[in-house]
Amino acid sequence: MALLDVRDLSIRYEPKQRPAVDAVDQLSFSIDEGEFVGLIGESGSGKTTVGMAVLRLLQRPGRISGGSITFDGTDIAHLSQDELRKYRWREISTVFQSSMNALNPVTRVEAQFADVIQCHTQLRGGEVTERIRTLFDMVLIDPKFMTAFPHELSGGMRQRINLALALAIGPRFVVLDEPTTGLDVVVQHSILENVRRLQAELGFAVLFISHDLGTVLDLSDRTMVMYAGKLAEEQATRQLLRDPLHPYTKGLLGSYGDPRAETVRITYVPGRPPDLAHRPDGCAFAARCPERIDRCAEIEPARTEAGEGLVACHVAAIQRGADGSGIEVGPPIRTFAGPQFVKSAAASAEAARGLPLVTVDDVSKTYVRRQGLRAVRTEAVSGANFVLHRGGVTALVGQSGSGKSTLARMITGVDAPTAGRITFHGSDGDQVVARMRGRRLRSYRGSVQMVFQDPYSALNPTKTLGATLARPLINFQQLHGSKLRERVIELLETVALSPGERFVNRYPHELSGGQRQRVVIARALAVEPELIVADEPISSLDVSIRAEVLELFDKLVHERNVGILYITHDLLSARMLCDEVVVLNEGKVVEQGPALDVIRSPQDDCTRLLLDAIPNPFAAARS
Amino acid sequence: MSTVATETVTAPAVADRWYRVVWSSKKARVGIVVVAIYTLVALLAPVIAPYGPTDGSFTPLTGPSAQHLLGTNVAGVDVFSQVIYGSRVSLIVGLLGGLLATAIALVIGMVSGYAEGTFVDDVLTFLTNTALVIPVLPLIITLVAYSDTRGIPLIVGVIAFTSWAGAARSKRAQIITLRNRDFVTAAKFSGDGTFRIIFSEILPNMTSLVAAAFVGAATGAIGAEAGLAVLGLGSSDSVSWGTILYQADAAGAISQGLFVWVFVPGLVLAILITSMAFIIFGIDLLSNPHLRED
Repeated sequence: MALLDVRDLSIRYEPKQRPAVDAVDQLSFSIDEGEFVGLIGESGSGKTTVGMAVLRLLQRPGRISGGSITFDGTDIAHLSQDELRKYRWREISTVFQSSMNALNPVTRVEAQFADVIQCHTQLRGGEVTERIRTLFDMVLIDPKFMTAFPHELSGGMRQRINLALALAIGPRFVVLDEPTTGLDVVVQHSILENVRRLQAELGFAVLFISHDLGTVLDLSDRTMVMYAGKLAEEQATRQLLRDPLHPYTKGLLGSYGDPRAETVRITYVPGRPPDLAHRPDGCAFAARCPERIDRCAEIEPARTEAGEGLVACHVAAIQRGADGSGIEVGPPIRTFAGPQFVKSAAASAEAARGLPLVTVDDVSKTYVRRQGLRAVRTEAVSGANFVLHRGGVTALVGQSGSGKSTLARMITGVDAPTAGRITFHGSDGDQVVARMRGRRLRSYRGSVQMVFQDPYSALNPTKTLGATLARPLINFQQLHGSKLRERVIELLETVALSPGERFVNRYPHELSGGQRQRVVIARALAVEPELIVADEPISSLDVSIRAEVLELFDKLVHERNVGILYITHDLLSARMLCDEVVVLNEGKVVEQGPALDVIRSPQDDCTRLLLDAIPNPFAAARS
Repeated sequence: MSTVATETVTAPAVADRWYRVVWSSKKARVGIVVVAIYTLVALLAPVIAPYGPTDGSFTPLTGPSAQHLLGTNVAGVDVFSQVIYGSRVSLIVGLLGGLLATAIALVIGMVSGYAEGTFVDDVLTFLTNTALVIPVLPLIITLVAYSDTRGIPLIVGVIAFTSWAGAARSKRAQIITLRNRDFVTAAKFSGDGTFRIIFSEILPNMTSLVAAAFVGAATGAIGAEAGLAVLGLGSSDSVSWGTILYQADAAGAISQGLFVWVFVPGLVLAILITSMAFIIFGIDLLSNPHLRED
């Protein structure tokens, strides 16, 4: 019998002020003892809700409105909080998404472990310490950190400690809800390696919830794909890679590519998920699906066995002979037949080498912090040398703390270099970029603009898109009245939000993440800048829509001849967009050159480390 | 290469209208209804009150009767009419005092928080801290006692200038959490100036907090006005509930058995202040959506 058996689970959010929403609708799945199951879906698909329901941590206004959750023969969906206590942590434990908040900031880590261990076991005193020591060894953290406070540890260490804490009593089932989101790729990679090793050693079952398909496919035995509160597809991971059934899965898989390939294609899924308060008739994915047939808009596909997995899709069912209706749909295809973004090595080499736009000449930045009587010096950047070209994209790649953001701050004129010189070769002559203020900074910002990491916080939630886009136009080009409106609409259309009239009066919350990021880009374009600094512009977006933003950037480079400095830790996106790559490690430029050269024949260990950290599910499937 | 697919906006997720959210709280509903009734009474005072508030043509010091619901005072004025007209002073002082104190707190708190760590912040914080530690009541009494004309504008001004400091501190703390958001940096890149960023970009994101602060300040102003009037330092050209209490105290109302004279003005004041506190519960729902489900 399965360890965890979820049958027809429905979860309903019933806010007082708004219509009720069925966030999860009749979901069924099971997890065997020691099995590693992945659950993927984009934001809003209900995957975290499922995790919370299995842990019985759902809070009002959400509640389990139907179905059962059977853990080891007991239906835990209807147990009281008191009866649940004997399952919590001893049988079922979890690692939450935010490593920053999951540990109590005012107690030492050791005390938090002791709490859990003494509550659930007979161990006391020295035995407890011994146990904590073992747990620290398990997650590869030096036991000397036992007496540390959470803020003294790095994000990666904290998340490892959360993992150790989850495993403290040897649970049989662990829910991992996006355990590495927000962490550096390299750190993420090493934590997940750790999870995989421990799972193999200790044999607990895992439900691994993530929006990041790559990591899920890398780790799990079986993968479930969730869309709009339902399971779209469920298959053994290897099989899913070989033969994805649901078009949505194909869309997600399409957003990965091998950065080393001569030509990389990545697809994206246009549109956004349906509003669950007004669930459409038929298949929820139909509106975004390139393979849809007439039936999809009318009849909701049931979960059927097709091929070697379960899928809720008419087309897949017909193709695999699981549906006898005899509608002609053509043979199964492996890829997502939607919009795609292609980058070939040839196109990259062709990119005309423009004139230099920014010269970074032997730049260093040292921060001095006073600690009592001593001055502590931190060298954020030392001796960086590189050139940004007009009409070219340069990627600044490195782990967190490698000095990427410090360089960006210096190039945008927010900070001044301690040594060396940054020269901006603007259209009105050369200009030394140092700490600028007032009028000079303002005029510099007419040439250098920024695109932010998180489109959710980069747009003012209280302002319409029109009002947001109007500001730079009023400030830098003194546009007013109908001219202003025309230009705003033109900007919206430049970033493919058209017809622009329909977007002018929208608020940011009405847009999808990808659409928001396009508005952020449109605002940067308003002043017709010569350089755009983009700080991780796609890392907070769902994988299925990343390519649309990359494509927009690519279009801008070719059509407008702007230079882009693309800051990232993700070499795949760097390869998709950039002509040149500069790799930073601990404040030093360790490698630079044409993107494909750097990726194909990395010279530095740091570049290799970053390359290895890119989840590449296909590599595993091929081997 | 394919072009970026154009697309339209799908079903906009309509945000809750603010008035619906506030109205959804039972406490706020009670508060709003009571304050609305007070406002109506204040506006319609000449219609509701049987006599003028200064009409001293009746027998002094009578107990409650059909002609004089709450009796008359030493000067022979109808106390019920005084209570009705008194609501005007309380509401006006509450509204204007609240507005003025909130405005001062906003400007000083927001500018100081936005400029945190700079010289401007140091100066403004020093000013705020000074205003906080000055003993307010003696200061108000001194200011009012030494002024020649004791009109409502003076009372409003004095109350506002002595009560903004706490609110300014909380505004400063709030803006510090908001000013590092990306949209603020983006506004800088769009060429917006400091004041525009503070009041046009950041302020709209804290309207609910400002509204709660305003209701709090208005409540404080109403209480302060009543307190001053009880001490005999009220506005000399109009009657307020505090004035009635002062007169009742001076005439020894309790010892004469004229309880309603003391009791009713105090009660109407207490009800108004309680209802305004209730409204804040509703406004809290705006700034903290989690509370909406309780």
